[in-house]
Amino acid sequence: MATITLKSFTGLRQSSPDQTNFISHVPSSLSLTQRRTSLRVTAARSSPNLANRNLRVAVIGGGPAGGAAAETLAQGGIETILIERKMDNCKPCGGAIPLCMVGEFNLPLDIIDRRVTKMKMISPSNIAVDIGRTLKEHEYIGMVRREVLDQYLRERAEKSGATVINGLFLKMDLPENWDAPYVLHYTEYDGKTGATGQKKTMEVDAVIGADGANSRVAKSIGAGDYDYAIAFQERIRIPDDKMTYYEDLAEMYVGDDVSPDFYGWVFPKCDHVAVGTGTVTHKGDIKKFQLATRNRAKDKILGGKIIRVEAHPIPEHPRPRRLSKRVALVGDAAGYVTKCSGEGIYFAAKSGRMCAEAIVEGSQNGKKMIDESDLRKYLEKWDKTYLPTYRVLDVLQKVFYRSNPAREAFVEMCSDEYVQKMTFDSYLYKRVAPGNPLEDLKLAVNTIGSVFRANALRREIEKLNV
Amino acid sequence: MSISMALFSPPISSSLRNPYLSPKNSLSLLSVTRASSDNGASTTDSAAVSATTVEIPKPASVTVEEVPSKSPAESSSDETDLPTTETGIKFEDAKWVNGTWDLKQFEKDGKTDWDSIIVAEAKRRKWLEDNPETTTNAEPVLFDTSIIPWWAWMKRYHLPEAELLNGRAAMIGFFMAYFVDSLTGVGLVDQMGNFFCKTLLFVAVAGVLFIRKNEDLDKLKGLIEETTLYDKQWQAAWKEPESSSSTVSSKK
Repeated sequence: MATITLKSFTGLRQSSPDQTNFISHVPSSLSLTQRRTSLRVTAARSSPNLANRNLRVAVIGGGPAGGAAAETLAQGGIETILIERKMDNCKPCGGAIPLCMVGEFNLPLDIIDRRVTKMKMISPSNIAVDIGRTLKEHEYIGMVRREVLDQYLRERAEKSGATVINGLFLKMDLPENWDAPYVLHYTEYDGKTGATGQKKTMEVDAVIGADGANSRVAKSIGAGDYDYAIAFQERIRIPDDKMTYYEDLAEMYVGDDVSPDFYGWVFPKCDHVAVGTGTVTHKGDIKKFQLATRNRAKDKILGGKIIRVEAHPIPEHPRPRRLSKRVALVGDAAGYVTKCSGEGIYFAAKSGRMCAEAIVEGSQNGKKMIDESDLRKYLEKWDKTYLPTYRVLDVLQKVFYRSNPAREAFVEMCSDEYVQKMTFDSYLYKRVAPGNPLEDLKLAVNTIGSVFRANALRREIEKLNV
Repeated sequence: MSISMALFSPPISSSLRNPYLSPKNSLSLLSVTRASSDNGASTTDSAAVSATTVEIPKPASVTVEEVPSKSPAESSSDETDLPTTETGIKFEDAKWVNGTWDLKQFEKDGKTDWDSIIVAEAKRRKWLEDNPETTTNAEPVLFDTSIIPWWAWMKRYHLPEAELLNGRAAMIGFFMAYFVDSLTGVGLVDQMGNFFCKTLLFVAVAGVLFIRKNEDLDKLKGLIEETTLYDKQWQAAWKEPESSSSTVSSKK
């Protein structure tokens, strides 16, 4: 009896060989013949099934965003191709990941070189505040080497079924009509270093642009530009006795000498420290700021040897268009770096995963063609989940990185235990935790007090100048 | 202390006079003196220093010069021999003890003179702004401005300003009341009952509070734009109408 019904259903269906989820497909297939003739299909539910194949999606860029996206796509049954131009790319990056990333992405603990549990904030007048007293035993900020993390995520994607290609994405031909594929032009290196590589093309149904701050995918779809900061970093190998100070401690320096709108840092890495600074508005003076940062940490990096100098752009806000038809941007390419702290690794990986999940869902595990509305769902979910975090950090940056008095007030406030607890909670777990209202009120009063005192001292300084 | 150091410096420098001439040998001078000083990290330092000459010359000169200037106690002889960029200009003050202001030294008539502490801290901050200093673990800066009681801050900063603003408000209020009375014949008490007059009063108070200098007007306009900019940048992805995706966007 059941087999007879099965046969009649397969007779009705036009194309798909899949017989396992035929129940969900019946309504769409019945309306298939009618819908075929209409010009625009807006909802994916009524998209046609793909004939004899799964959805093909290319992920351009193999960093955390690309790796996470490719893994989720491959696990969802979609034919995934990941294109990465440099497999051993040692990226200039702070390398700090929050605790929640280890859990959410099942990262093995040996990927983390160091666990930072203490941070020192140093004000323009060298008032140093220790933060991290409120951290529990199992809480830490993980410091990773980007080449190790990126490679691990790519390997996991490959194990899930994605094809990883060593190549450089050149450009993309946009489709003429709605069901034509995207044609990608890329140069395949195939592991041969130094060779010019072969020019190849590939046809895919959808593209995820995870190729970083200077994204070519973004250029191809006319996503628009964003303001960006320049981060400049020097890796310095310091003597062992100085290294023990940085065993699990990172430092943040604020001041006009170090950066007019950002901060200078000393982050411990596997066997050396990274000393750097950044700026948006005064990019030309970055070397001066770097010298000032090194000067402020001079005693603690004494006898050090600079082993590498690197710089990279950090987006300040998202691009005006983060997706177009069946192309979506994730990670740095989309501009998902927070203000104030400049954190990008977690958001890159999470956005890659979220976008891939939206594609998997919209295509019903690769059976259907997707549409822009499916990708818009990813944007919606992203904005809903993380916009409050981005807004809060933007306000913090605007208020506390304005001027030296503001920075002094910032550092003063960081000595408060409640502030430390709230800051770490929101950083480590990426949730805006509901605080205690009485403590919030006390915090507000203390903030006003700190800002008032710092500004009063600034006026006093101005009086001395006269 | 400095005299005794000067006494010690001639014998050491005379033995090293020749090597002092060439910069390359000055590094070996450095390693010799560093080894002689009681520094546990001297071997790694000298190894690192000699390694720097091979690696990157320009930063090496910076790290080399850093080494002698930051150990004034043990090898001030280095400071006299080698050309250093800065000989550790540090903020020093008799009343600045152990990284904070010694409140006992600020007493006047048996009570702490908070005003002078405020001025002293301002001087310190001004000094550091002009000559940024390194932070050391040996002498951490621990001063917290909240030890100065709130009424000291009020008396010094808030009250004079409040007096100024209240004076301005009073003058504006008097003349506006006179003006309105002469134009409309409505007395002060009746003015207070009128909605338009109350709005005018509110505008006058807000104006006095927020616009204190001529530049404040432009600053306020910039502020409003600044607060909404980030939000606008995020919403840009949603501003596009769906139909624009059907037009050919840009084949750049």
